[in-house]
Amino acid sequence: METIQFDVLTISGAILLIATFGIVATRGFMDWLNAYRYQSIVLSGVTAIIGYVTGIWEIYIAAGLTLVIKSIIIPKVLTYVTRKLEIEFKLETNPYVSIRASVIISALLVALSYFLIQQIPFKSDQIVNAYLPVSMAQFFIGLFVLVNRRTVLSQVVGLLIIENGLFLFAMALTHGVSLLIEIGIFVDILVGILISSILLFRISRTFDSLDVGKLENLRDD
Amino acid sequence: MDTLISNLTILFLLLPPIVGAGLVTIIKKKRTIGIITICAASLILVQVLLLVSRIVSEKTITAFGNAFYVDSLSAVILLSVSVVGFVAALYSKNYMGRQYDNGTVDDKHIVRYYQGFNVFLLTMLVVPIANNLGIMWVMVEATTLVSVLLIMLYFKENAIEAAWKYLIIATVGLSFALIGTVFFYYANINANTSDDAMNWTGMVHNAKLFDPNLVKIAFVFILVGFGTKAGLAPMHTWLPDAHSEAPTPVSAVLSGVLLNCAFYAIIRFHIVSSVSIGPEFSNQLLIILAVVSIGIAAASMYFQKDMKRMLAYSSVEHMGLISLGIGFGGLFGIYGALLQIVNHAMAKPLMFFASGSVSQKYEAKAMSKIKGIITVMPVTGILFLIGGLALVGMPPFNVFLSEFMILSSGFKSGQFVATSLVILFLVITFAVFLRHLVKMIFGNPLSEMKKGEMGKLAIIPMAILCSLVVIFGIYIPTQLQTLIQNASTIISGGGFA
Repeated sequence: METIQFDVLTISGAILLIATFGIVATRGFMDWLNAYRYQSIVLSGVTAIIGYVTGIWEIYIAAGLTLVIKSIIIPKVLTYVTRKLEIEFKLETNPYVSIRASVIISALLVALSYFLIQQIPFKSDQIVNAYLPVSMAQFFIGLFVLVNRRTVLSQVVGLLIIENGLFLFAMALTHGVSLLIEIGIFVDILVGILISSILLFRISRTFDSLDVGKLENLRDD
Repeated sequence: MDTLISNLTILFLLLPPIVGAGLVTIIKKKRTIGIITICAASLILVQVLLLVSRIVSEKTITAFGNAFYVDSLSAVILLSVSVVGFVAALYSKNYMGRQYDNGTVDDKHIVRYYQGFNVFLLTMLVVPIANNLGIMWVMVEATTLVSVLLIMLYFKENAIEAAWKYLIIATVGLSFALIGTVFFYYANINANTSDDAMNWTGMVHNAKLFDPNLVKIAFVFILVGFGTKAGLAPMHTWLPDAHSEAPTPVSAVLSGVLLNCAFYAIIRFHIVSSVSIGPEFSNQLLIILAVVSIGIAAASMYFQKDMKRMLAYSSVEHMGLISLGIGFGGLFGIYGALLQIVNHAMAKPLMFFASGSVSQKYEAKAMSKIKGIITVMPVTGILFLIGGLALVGMPPFNVFLSEFMILSSGFKSGQFVATSLVILFLVITFAVFLRHLVKMIFGNPLSEMKKGEMGKLAIIPMAILCSLVVIFGIYIPTQLQTLIQNASTIISGGGFA
């Protein structure tokens, strides 16, 4: 029984990482959204597993919220937004680092997070061991996506990956901070996504582009 | 009975902005919604003043179980939120009215503005009184979202760009803060499994049992995270954009109190970390960030061409000074830092209001286009001059006193290198800021301009702030002295006065 549980934990962590790599390795916004939806579904499964292992019922609610908000509502909102935008904005120009190099860098980031987690004195616990490095890797990869891609849309995706990493981090380490706070965090994300969607419209309308490079009017000189 | 009164106190404190936002949504008449917001803000101010006087005698108030916890430290922040909120609401009436007449905003957006303003006040009221650090984080993130909405009120390119950068940078920064918060929570549940593991009071109580390595990592995350929101360099890059592109009353609130709210979060964790592993670790980090912030602010102000951006960089400098005072420690340094929070919250909004009126009059924000304010709008010119002199720390105005306390505590605690560097940077800021100020205020206007002020409602809030700036330079009310004294004891003495 022990080993089976361990396997489930490891395998689900690995699937989560693969989903994250899916975002790094693809080019179009729709592909990212699909990868994000896939990642969120896995994340919600992982959350349910944590709930099963620890036996805390509140975690199941968090898993349900993840499923509804992150794999249904947020992708719907963003799909709606991109449909409204003109086609040329959806095509991405080349990222600063090529996709092949991005995948390698992401792999290094995964290794880095496993290394970092070993340095921090955590109580050994199978959930912590299985998921904490994965959550850190998600966090770092999210940051990398945020700075590497040139379009405004990809910055939103980067933020979403970072947020998924954070959620898993809190879940794995503390088995969920209280439900009230988690609902607060969910509301914050949802409102944040709505606001960024409005901003996306305005940016595309006023700048005629979604290239981050265009957003540099404000300077000190 | 006592708990009932405390619960009602907190409830009534949070009610005016909620009701205000609701009424604004229902009524939608341009004239009335401005007045509704002023009423809400003045109700908040009165209640905070009553609450503060209660805190001075009772030291702490808890409400709704342990959900809300108000002590002298929260009271200092509440005070600055309510005062600046009130004057900004007053100023909004005139400023937004003029923007409406210009055609910059339409009916729909003026309603949005006042809704946002009320909600913004609400979130900033909850941050300093929430005991649960998770709720505090949620509320700080909420302040980001509301203020982004307020910044993107204008459809200008620059406003959209500023709003976007602010949203992304602040959200990423705050995600670091969340990691730090979770680390502290983890340290606490490992040390003890009480119910209030996420509450600040519970954390301070158990802090001695925390794993020291964990606390160090956690505090670094907290400092980077909330430091981004507090505008500490090098994470300050969103700040000049957001503060210069927001509607002026919002700039004043962003600069005068939102930064304080974020810094308040750092102070809370600083206390926990000090109790746990001694203050040296967090003090060192705070001092380093402070020196970097003041240095970068001084350099950026030297090259500045835009009036509001210069004021924004001055905020970076002042947050640096506050961080420096907390980092130097000792009752004198911490007292100075808290006094600096209060003083900055009076002087900076004054400057933003004055610059808002000036840029509406001159229809420009570039400093090279603004000359001879004192001949065109004499009253605003004088207020602008006093605010500017106060901001650079000229005696006899209020900021001088707190800066002097912070710097002298630096020498007292033996931080000679940091203190001398900061004094050097302050001299640069002083010279640069005054040069810009004098060029704008004196001389002859570039083109023929009609003399005249921007209206009574623009002058009154500035006059209120200006009289506070002058009075606090000479005399600090004894009640406030006791309050800041108690708050300093909380910070240096392990969480409780």
